[in-house]
Amino acid sequence: MRTTRFWIVLLTLMGLALSACVAPMPAVEAPGAPAPAVGPKTLTIASGTDIENMNVHRVTSSPSFSVLEHIYETLFYMNPEGELEPLLAESLEPGEEEHTFILKLRQGVNFSDGTPFNAEAVKMNLEYVLNPDNGSAFAFLISRIQEIEVVDDYTVKLILDSDFAPLAAHLSHGALAMVAPSALEQGNDFLANNAIGTGPYMLERWDRAESVTLVRNPNYWGDPPAIDRLVFKVVQEDGARLVEVEAGTVDVAVRVPPAEAARVDANPNVDVITTPGLRTIYIFFNVTREPFDDVRVRQAINYAVDVEAIVNQLFNGAARVSDAPFAPPIFGYKPNPPYARDLEKARALLAEAGVPEGTSLVLYHPTGRYVQDALVADAVRAQLREVGLEVELRTLEWPQYVPFVRAPAGENQVQFAMLGWSTPTMDADYALYALFHSSEHPPGFNGAFYSNPEVDRLLDEARTTVDPEVRRELYAQAIDIIWEEAPWLFLYSEVQLTAIRTNVEGFIVHPNERLIATYADKK
Amino acid sequence: MTQYILRRFLWAIPVLLGASFLVFWSIRWVPGDPAIAIAGELATPELVEKVRAELGLDQPLPIQYGIYLGRMLRGDMGTSVRSGLPVFEEIRIRLPRTLQLTFFSLLFAAAIGIPIGVLSATRANTWIDALSMIFALLGVSMPIFWLGLMLIVFFALTLPSWLGLNQPILPPTGAGTWQHLVMPTIALAANSMAIQARMTRASMLEVLRSDYIRTARAKGVPEFSVVYNHGLRNALIPIVTVIGLQFGTLLGGAVLTETVFAWPGIGRLLVDSIGYRDYPVIQGTVLVITVGFVLVNILVDVLYAYLDPRIRYT
Amino acid sequence: MTASSGSITARQGGDVALRAPRSNLSMTLRRLSRSPGAILGATLVAMFILIGIFAPVLAPYDFEAADFVKVRQPPSAEHWLGTDELGRDLLSRLLYGARLSLVVGLISVGIGVLIGAPLGLISGYAGGRVDQVIMRLMDILLAFPSILLAILMVAAFGPSLTNAMIAIGVVSIPVYARLMRGSTLSIKEELYIEASRSVGTPSHHILTRHVLPNTIAPIVVQSTLQIAVAIQASAALGFLGLGAPPDVPEWGNMLQKGRTYILSAPHIVVFPGLAIMLVVLGFNLMGDGLRDALDPRMAR
Repeated sequence: MRTTRFWIVLLTLMGLALSACVAPMPAVEAPGAPAPAVGPKTLTIASGTDIENMNVHRVTSSPSFSVLEHIYETLFYMNPEGELEPLLAESLEPGEEEHTFILKLRQGVNFSDGTPFNAEAVKMNLEYVLNPDNGSAFAFLISRIQEIEVVDDYTVKLILDSDFAPLAAHLSHGALAMVAPSALEQGNDFLANNAIGTGPYMLERWDRAESVTLVRNPNYWGDPPAIDRLVFKVVQEDGARLVEVEAGTVDVAVRVPPAEAARVDANPNVDVITTPGLRTIYIFFNVTREPFDDVRVRQAINYAVDVEAIVNQLFNGAARVSDAPFAPPIFGYKPNPPYARDLEKARALLAEAGVPEGTSLVLYHPTGRYVQDALVADAVRAQLREVGLEVELRTLEWPQYVPFVRAPAGENQVQFAMLGWSTPTMDADYALYALFHSSEHPPGFNGAFYSNPEVDRLLDEARTTVDPEVRRELYAQAIDIIWEEAPWLFLYSEVQLTAIRTNVEGFIVHPNERLIATYADKK
Repeated sequence: MTQYILRRFLWAIPVLLGASFLVFWSIRWVPGDPAIAIAGELATPELVEKVRAELGLDQPLPIQYGIYLGRMLRGDMGTSVRSGLPVFEEIRIRLPRTLQLTFFSLLFAAAIGIPIGVLSATRANTWIDALSMIFALLGVSMPIFWLGLMLIVFFALTLPSWLGLNQPILPPTGAGTWQHLVMPTIALAANSMAIQARMTRASMLEVLRSDYIRTARAKGVPEFSVVYNHGLRNALIPIVTVIGLQFGTLLGGAVLTETVFAWPGIGRLLVDSIGYRDYPVIQGTVLVITVGFVLVNILVDVLYAYLDPRIRYT
Repeated sequence: MTASSGSITARQGGDVALRAPRSNLSMTLRRLSRSPGAILGATLVAMFILIGIFAPVLAPYDFEAADFVKVRQPPSAEHWLGTDELGRDLLSRLLYGARLSLVVGLISVGIGVLIGAPLGLISGYAGGRVDQVIMRLMDILLAFPSILLAILMVAAFGPSLTNAMIAIGVVSIPVYARLMRGSTLSIKEELYIEASRSVGTPSHHILTRHVLPNTIAPIVVQSTLQIAVAIQASAALGFLGLGAPPDVPEWGNMLQKGRTYILSAPHIVVFPGLAIMLVVLGFNLMGDGLRDALDPRMAR
C-alpha cells in the first residue's frame, strides 16, 4: 500500500514538472541560421541587446537605431566621414523671412505600404516628435522649430525661433526618421510593434529577446540591396558573440572585448575592424565645490592620471586618448597638447593649491553603461592614490545615476563623476553646448557647473553662424579655454571593435554606432 | 485530508499578499527613476515628469499598491518600462526556459545524487562512503556561479587545448540546442545533487537498520533486491520531499546560473530589470518565482502527509 | 542548503535542548576530536580566521598598489597567484578579502541571531496571538527563495557591502526564529519549568535561567552553518554587482570583475572561487561535526 502511494506521488511530481517543460517554448532553432545554400542571402548580426521597441521616435539606444534605420530613413544622412548627404530631402536652404528654412523633398518615394512620402508626412512626423505627449527623447534636437508649414507636396517651410546652423545635421538623427502617416495615425501601441518606413528593408518578424528579422523591401526607391534578409540576433555575452562569429553561425559580432581582439583577428575567417567612436568618456569636476573650484587641482588630477596607460594596458589600445573634449570625426575638432602623466607636477600643483596628502574624495561612476566603466574608475582611483589622494568609489545603477548627476545646484552632491557623451550629429554644437554652456547647468548636462562668459559667447555665436570656417575657428577658441581650465579629467573616446566574417563585403560600422548592411554583400 | 489541503492553500493567500507587499515597497525605496530609463538620459525634466505620470509613478505609494493589486487580481501584471511589452508576455517568453533548466537540473541531480547516497549508505564508514560524502560536501560548498565559470574555462579552453581543438567543446553561453543546456544544468544541479546524496544516505541508513530489512535478509532475499526493492523504495519518501523542496531552491539558484550562462530565463530577466529599475518586471518575476516556490512547498507538504500516515492533519 | 539545513536543525534543536549543556561540554569536545571531518573543518576555519586577522602581515604586497604594465599576469614566482586586471597582487587581495568575508559572516549571522532568536523566544514563550503574528511574518519572509529576497533588498537599498550584510542577516531571521521557537516550546513543556512557575518565578527569570541556556547549542550549530551560507550569499551578491564598489577585494566582487577575462586570464576567477569554496567547506564540516557531537543520536 505504502509503496503504491509512493509511486503515485512520484509520477505526479514528475508529470507536473514535465508538463511545465512542455509549455510552449520559443522557437528553438537560431532564426535565420539554416539558410539554404542557393537562393536568398541572409546576413546575421550578433548584437548585444534587443531593440527596445519599433517606434523609431521613442527608442534611445544605438542597437535599436541600427535595426530601425534599415526600415526608416531620415531627411539627411550623415555619412561615416561626417559629411551630410541628402536622403529623403533634396535640400535645406534659408528662407526669405528671418529664421526660416525651406526643405525640398525627394519625389516618387513611397512607404512600404504604398502610401506616398510627401510634405504632409514630414509635418506629421516632426509634429509627432515635438508633441510632448509622445515622449520622444530626442525632441530637443528640433525644439527650435516653432512651426511647420506645408508649401506644396514636396516643399516644407520650417520656422525657427532663431538661426540655427546645425539644423540639417540634427535632422540626420535616426530619431527624426520618417514614419508612414498611416502608421502614425494608429497610435503608439501600433508603432511599438510595427514598422512602416521608406527604407530598403521591411520588418518580417520580431522574436522578443531573441532576434529581429528584416526582409528586403521590393519597392525600395533606391538601389536594391544585395542581401535579402537581415537577422539581428541578440547575444548578450561578449564571449558568446565571438564563439558564434568564429563558428560562422553569425556573420557579424558587435563589441569585441579588447582583450580578445588580437586572438579573433588571427582567425583567417574573421576580421576585427576598428571604427573610431563618437562617444567621449570623461570625469567631470564640480567646479563650484572644494577642492575642485581651484583650477590647479583639476589640472593636477589630469597630470596624475595616466590615460595613455589605461588605454594601452587595460584596453589593449582599443580607445583613443582624448586631446579635445570630443572625438576627431566630429566637425570642429581641434587637437590640444595632452596632459601627459607628470606626478611631480601634479604633486606641486596640489601643494600650491593647499590640498594636503591623504585628502579624501568621492568619485561616482556608473557600471555596465560604458565599456569597462567600473574598471576605469578603479584605475583612476589607483593612480590618484599615488599623489596622495584617497578616492572612495561609489557605484550607482544607471537609472539612479542620471538623476544624481543632474541634480540642480543645492541638491547636487557630486564631487567628481564619470560620464560619456556621444555626438551622433557629428557637430561641435552638440558636443560642447550642452556640456559647457552656463545655461546648461544641472538639470542640464553641464554637471561641472562650468561657466565662462567667453566660452558662452563663442558657443552662442558659433550656433548661429552659417560659414563653416568661421564656426570652426570659434569652436577652436572655445576648446582652448576649456582645455586649459580643465573642468574635466579628460579620458578617452571609445573605439568600436567589430568582428566580421571575411566573406562579407561592404558592411559599414558607422562612427555613431549604427551598423549598416544596406550596401553589404556576401560571397 | 481535503480540509487539510484546503487549509494549506488558504494559508498561502495571506503569505503571498504579504510577499507582494514586501516586493512592492522594497523596490520603491530607492530614488532610482524608471522614468529616466524610459525617457532616455537626454530627456528634459518636463518629459521625465510626463513619463512618470504616464507610469502612475506620481501617485502616492499606497494608491500605487492598490492599483497594482487590483490589476494583479485581473491577471494584468503591468507593462515593462524597458520594452513596453506586457510583463506577462515578458515572463511567458522566458519561463519555459527557466523551467526547462530547473527540470533537467533536478533530474540530473537525482540521477547522480541518489545512487551516490545509496552507495554511501550500503558501504557506510568505508573510504567509498567518506569519498562520496566529501564529494557531496564540495557540492554544497561550491558557489554555483563559480562552478559555472569553471565549467566554461574547462569546456571552452582547457579541454579543447588538450584535444588540440580551436573551438570550445560546448557553447559557453546562450540557449537553443541541447549543447547549450549541458553546462548550466551541471552548475545548477551540483548543490541539489549534494543535498540529495546526503539525504539519501541518512534515509537509507535508517531503513537498512529496520527490522523489516533484517527479516528480508534473513529470508535470503538477494542483497541487490534488499537494497533497491525493499530499502530504497522506503527510503525514497523523505528523499522525494527533499527533491520537491529543491525545485523551489533551484528556481532561486537559476538567477545566478542564468546570469553566468546568459540563459534567457526569468532569472536573467530579473537581474537585468533590477539594473534598469524596471519595477513591473521585477515585481512580476519575483512574484512568479515566489508563487511557484510557495505552491511547490504546499504540494510537497500535502504529498508528505498523504504518504506518511503518521502525520496528523493539524 | 539554507532551506534543508534550516529545517533539519530546527527539528534536532528540540532534542538537543533536553540535555543540560555544561556537563556535556567535555564529552562534546571529545566526540568532535574523533571526527576527521570536523577536525579538517575546524582547521580550515581557524586558518581563515587567522588570515583574516593577520592579512596585513601576511600579504606580500600592498593590495591596492596597481601596476598597469603588469596586468592580468598568470601566477609566477613574483606573484604567486598572478595579478588582477589592474596589475595588483592577487594573493594579497585574496588575503584581505578573507577579512571582509569574516566580517560579513559574523555580522550577518549576528543580525540573524540577535533579531531572530528573541523573536522565536517571545513567540514560543508567549504563544497565542503574539506567536501567530510573529510566525506569520516569518512565513512571509520564508515564502521567497532566500537569495531572491537578498537580491531584492540590496537592489532596493542600493548596492554596498553593508547592505549586503544586512540583507543576508535579515534573510536568516526566520531560520533562527523558528529554531528558537521550537526549542522554547519543548522546554516550556518541561516539568521543571512548570515547577518554577508555580513557585512564582517571574517570567523573565524563566527565560534567562532555563530557556536560554538550553537553546544555545542548536543556535551555535545553526550559526556555524549559517556563516557558510552568508559567505556564499555575499559572494553571489558581489558577483551580481550588488556588493562592494569595484576597488574592494571582496571575493565575489573579484569574480565578477575577472569574468571578462575568463578565457584569456582564467586565474583571476579561479583563485577567489577556490578560496570561497574552502572556507565554506570548513564551516560546513565544522557545523556538521558540531551537530553530530552535540546530538550523538545523529552521529553514525
